Amino acid sequence: MQNWKLFPLLACAGCYGQTMSPGPATVIRDDGVVTLERALTHESDLWVVPADLPRVNGFELKPEGACLDALCAPASEDGPDPLLLSRDGSQWFSVTGLARRLAQAVVAAPERRVWSLGPIALARRAYFDSAIAPDFELPNRDGELVRLSDFRGKKVLLVTWASW
Amino acid sequence: MDAAGKFYDAAAATFATLIDVGHTVSSLYNMTNVPTGVWIDEQGVIVRPNEVAYSRNVDFGNGAIAVNGDDYVAALADWVEHGPESRYAMTAEEIVGRLRSPDDAEALAEASFKLGVYLYQDGDPERANVLWDEAQALRPESWNYHRQDWSFLSNDEASQNWRQKFEALEGEPYYMPLALDEDER
Repeated sequence: MQNWKLFPLLACAGCYGQTMSPGPATVIRDDGVVTLERALTHESDLWVVPADLPRVNGFELKPEGACLDALCAPASEDGPDPLLLSRDGSQWFSVTGLARRLAQAVVAAPERRVWSLGPIALARRAYFDSAIAPDFELPNRDGELVRLSDFRGKKVLLVTWASW
Repeated sequence: MDAAGKFYDAAAATFATLIDVGHTVSSLYNMTNVPTGVWIDEQGVIVRPNEVAYSRNVDFGNGAIAVNGDDYVAALADWVEHGPESRYAMTAEEIVGRLRSPDDAEALAEASFKLGVYLYQDGDPERANVLWDEAQALRPESWNYHRQDWSFLSNDEASQNWRQKFEALEGEPYYMPLALDEDER
């Protein structure tokens, strides 16, 4: 497990030559769990194909960088902790590298290929700046998926309980 | 689902009952205890943020009302009838003033806790326990974290842990007191 806040590591692009491990990966984010068919991992680092980036952390890879709304983090293959990497004919994006730039919490179980990402404050401005209720999708007791936004047009009392 | 389902069946609940094994809602809304309620208007805007949401008065065995659930339900009914004109509905500005981004320790606690939940469900309780211990140390005020961890102890042990932690509050509220009225807020 790697706590990036307390033990920042400088990743090194050259190190990836032989030690990248391809395969599926799982990402836990604030609104659910995302399963990726393809990922590259190196110790506590996670790389995904750019097409998977939106469902992993809400960002989108554009010519100007990795963007969330108007915010863009420049992404290139250069430098000590690059966000981009070309390998096996694909381009890969470093989810953990972006997390380091954003000071986003990351806790990983790399040997299980699972990464748990903390919230990104910038992605939650509708909630914190405008009191928009964060949307989510969860199963009911029959297994049917229900979204909070399905109730738009009605008043909602959202109550959490647990049996414990 | 097995533990709670019979209560919903007995009550013939007609509201949507969703199952959140990954603690998604408490993450998104920064909740630390149950029951927690949020009121959301027809446009999807919060009009009352996290607060304790009992449907009747509750005491903790000493006869004193710990949570005034009767007043909460009356306030809810008032909002259903009067909408934004209800004295219990807050403005977006008032809500925004109460919302707070998780700080670094809270964000790390959440990531640890949820990885623990995932690994527990994936058959690795030892690893889950380490992660839950870390989450509880980082955010000791979250009863949700404690109780998820204790739920795998015997009932006696879990009750004892809860009682010890509850008594250690020493006057700090277990639930933040309801402040329903405009002039109380």
